[in-house]
Amino acid sequence: MRGLALAAFVAAAAVGAVGVPAVARAQVQPKPVIVDLGKRAPVQCAAGNTSTAPSPARAIFFWAFAILAVAGGMLTISRRSAVAAVMWLVATFLAIAAAYVLLFAHFIAVIQVLVYAGAIMVLFVFVIMILNKEEEEPWAVRGIFGKGLAGLALLYLVMRLVSVLYYAPLEERPCISDQFGTTLSLGKTLFSTYLFPFEAVSIVLLIAVVGALVLAHPKHIHEEGGDGGAPS
Amino acid sequence: MSDIFWNVSLAHYLALAGVLFAIGVVGALMRRNALIVLMSVELMLNAGNVTLIAFARRLQDMRGHALALIVIALAAAEAAVGLAIVVSVFRATRHANVDRLTNLKN
Repeated sequence: MRGLALAAFVAAAAVGAVGVPAVARAQVQPKPVIVDLGKRAPVQCAAGNTSTAPSPARAIFFWAFAILAVAGGMLTISRRSAVAAVMWLVATFLAIAAAYVLLFAHFIAVIQVLVYAGAIMVLFVFVIMILNKEEEEPWAVRGIFGKGLAGLALLYLVMRLVSVLYYAPLEERPCISDQFGTTLSLGKTLFSTYLFPFEAVSIVLLIAVVGALVLAHPKHIHEEGGDGGAPS
Repeated sequence: MSDIFWNVSLAHYLALAGVLFAIGVVGALMRRNALIVLMSVELMLNAGNVTLIAFARRLQDMRGHALALIVIALAAAEAAVGLAIVVSVFRATRHANVDRLTNLKN
């Protein structure tokens, strides 16, 4: 069954390998423009705009947090102890929040720290406290076939990523509005055009909370008495 | 090559999201602990969010941020329900090994 899933994943990757380069070739100029950061003149932006031209500090922060996110993700899925995995997942989420800040998404970054690194991870830690059982054999892959397939997939992924980065076009808009990414502009978007999805999400959250309570309640749902009484 | 390092563009964030998503897929397919599988799913949702935010910044469009916020809320709902399912499965079977949960097979 897992072999089937892996085969489906590889097939999807193959479809992407055919389709994505065709689209990319149609849109991207093949020769990357060399940027000399030392000699570049500072970009002049209109009033109310911020310069987002590439700067050494921005690049260094991006690479530091990207490496932290990827390493944290790898450690998350490779730790035998679930508590260690959760701690590395928190580090990954904090690094992703930093990437949001670099993308001028300040409000989303704060929400990421509060909701993901705070609330959801606390939920995970609580459940680990309930279960707290080590695995005998955490990894499912055995045999030369699975490892060979994994190695091929990894090689292909690295190849694709390097080619994407090599042919990456430069940022064509060096100026960005001061209003971009603020709580004000996100609120305006969310409460005018997207009011209905926003309210629908609140209903979904309510249903999820009720469903989680029903599922995790100690007494069985078909038991006599219906309401189940106080949780013990 | 130094240009790839110093000039961080949209493609860098898409590559980061791709790597994170691949890690999540590997974790969800390979691990046996249901909790780690759920964590991998969260990692994949975060990779999708990175893509949304990166495109929102490139297109200077706040709708990507709104969608990312909704994805975060749905991820919270998914985590709550998923963890409740894991807890009730653990109560019934005394383990949380997804490979041994074959009750629906026959």
